[in-house]
Amino acid sequence: MTVFIIRRLMQAGVVVLLMSFLVFSGVFLVGDPVDILISDEADEEDRERAIAGLGLDKPFHMQYLLFLRGALRGDLGESFIFEEPALLLIVERMPATMELALFALLIAVVIGIPLGMFAGFRPESITAKTIMSGSILGFSLPSFWVGIMMMVLFAVHLGWLPSTGRGPTTEWFGIEVSFTSWKGISYLLMPAINLSLFKLALVIRLARAGTREVVHQDYIKFARAKGLSGRRIVLVHVLKNIMIPVVTVLGLEFGGLVAFSIVTETVFAWPGMGKLLIDSIGMLDRPVIVAYLMIIVFLFVIINLVVDILYSILDPRVRLGEIRS
Amino acid sequence: MSSSNESIGAVPNLTDLGEKVQMPLQRFLSDYRESSVAVVSVFVVITIAIIAVFAPLLAPTDPYDLAVVTVADKTLAPGVIMSSGQTAYLGTDGSGRDLLSGIFYGLRISLGVGIGSGVIALTIGVFVGLIAAYFGGRIDSLIMRLVDIQLSFPAILIALVLLVTLGKGVDKTLIALIVVQWAYYARTVRGSALVERGKEYIESAHCLALSKRRILMNHLFPNVVAPIIVVGTMQTAHAIALEATLSFLGLGMEQTEPSLGSLIANGFDYIHSGHYWITIFPGVALLVTIVSINLVGDRLRDVLNPRLQR
Repeated sequence: MTVFIIRRLMQAGVVVLLMSFLVFSGVFLVGDPVDILISDEADEEDRERAIAGLGLDKPFHMQYLLFLRGALRGDLGESFIFEEPALLLIVERMPATMELALFALLIAVVIGIPLGMFAGFRPESITAKTIMSGSILGFSLPSFWVGIMMMVLFAVHLGWLPSTGRGPTTEWFGIEVSFTSWKGISYLLMPAINLSLFKLALVIRLARAGTREVVHQDYIKFARAKGLSGRRIVLVHVLKNIMIPVVTVLGLEFGGLVAFSIVTETVFAWPGMGKLLIDSIGMLDRPVIVAYLMIIVFLFVIINLVVDILYSILDPRVRLGEIRS
Repeated sequence: MSSSNESIGAVPNLTDLGEKVQMPLQRFLSDYRESSVAVVSVFVVITIAIIAVFAPLLAPTDPYDLAVVTVADKTLAPGVIMSSGQTAYLGTDGSGRDLLSGIFYGLRISLGVGIGSGVIALTIGVFVGLIAAYFGGRIDSLIMRLVDIQLSFPAILIALVLLVTLGKGVDKTLIALIVVQWAYYARTVRGSALVERGKEYIESAHCLALSKRRILMNHLFPNVVAPIIVVGTMQTAHAIALEATLSFLGLGMEQTEPSLGSLIANGFDYIHSGHYWITIFPGVALLVTIVSINLVGDRLRDVLNPRLQR
């Protein structure tokens, strides 16, 4: 077990290091930020001082090593534009993104599981077929397109919901949240639904497949024979058993939600870290781009690591197979 | 059904072998035809492909001919006549370009990038996947580790990093989409090839001392084609959607070569001023393209899946 965890940790470390190199060298090649940041009137001396100030006069490998040394101390560089630590900028916007992602997850689970279970219990009914066709749409439609259509319909045409931005926030254990007021929720609703659609389709599929498998199991037959109410069978015996794959997949997919919020945040002008990334790309704010990508890579590696370790605890064949090979 | 009767009638002494050679395509077609939605989708896909290929001939105007396009025509409603005398059936966009023509040209770029990247990614993925499955051992685990790491990140994130690095443009978007997709093909091909490799015909090919190249290309490859077709169709739809998303984010195509995604992004600036058509019509074109390709792919998966064969 320990051997397995140590191996996985080392692997995760290698992935992070590799990605840091790829991201840093990739972003290093992007246009010359000096042209944008320094005005044309500046003389040669000013230019050189500014370049040195940003640390851009050093050769590439030195810049990378300095970046790594900083990263190990939690310093991912300073934004060229805001002149604040890049990490701080991102962390400031993190609550907005997390709020959006968690709400989307909640919507996917709360709506997806009942729909999926229904489709699993009565697979031949018209409602079930409609649900399943809907889930194909959820998989195939690009989310920015759905977002725009929702905006056109509910905000521009019907005027029910505000089209862009985040509602008023209140502080909650030191974190700015917006779901505490109805106004805040009205801003949150459309982006959250938009972000959830893909996961909703996924949850429906998983719940349906799980239900179809579970209803034929002996313990369900036994529960019926014992005379339990249909309600209890569905809510306790079926639900509990289909939750295992749903929870696993959703855990794995959470990173995907955060990554996909880049698109949703851009459509709805939601002030999260994804929008910050797109803005920073537009302004060639290298440190912020690198910092964002490193945080996302880190998030993914951590999620995968935790899932791998949990799996190996639950299913010893995984770790034994690996150690032998 | 009548066609299969004819062919049997034409060759009276049909051996078992002959039947097997002839039947798969016919069975495939008659299976496919059972779903009318899928048949309609095929025709929609073909129509879209024809529009994309012949866009310069079919489009009423050349939306990128600066001699014809004037800002005076900007944001005309659908059906209004432009200053050149032609009717803008779907209206015009913010720079006065005819939207219908813009969509035709946009389809050309969207489909071109989607299919082009798919074909190249497929070639790379098939090659790598076959090698991984056939040689196994260290090569296999190295390749598959790489594939696993890549697939653990969402496609959009990888494409984003690449485009931030490379910049905008058709060629760069193509590269980003290839890098994103090859791993799916590699995994699919390796999976099916591993199953096939254990079968007796490969063993007998080994016993005949055929060259590795010949076994790979003439024996293994034809037997993993079915899953590749299915994944290829679905991936093409994904690639088109991904390209549209990237162009919407301002990272894919240059404004001089607008795809459907760029057209939608342009229109997005106008939705609050009531010029809905600039976003909606390219959006509908994108939707129809993606959904019809997906429906075809879905049907192909059902028909080509040996477990569901009747």
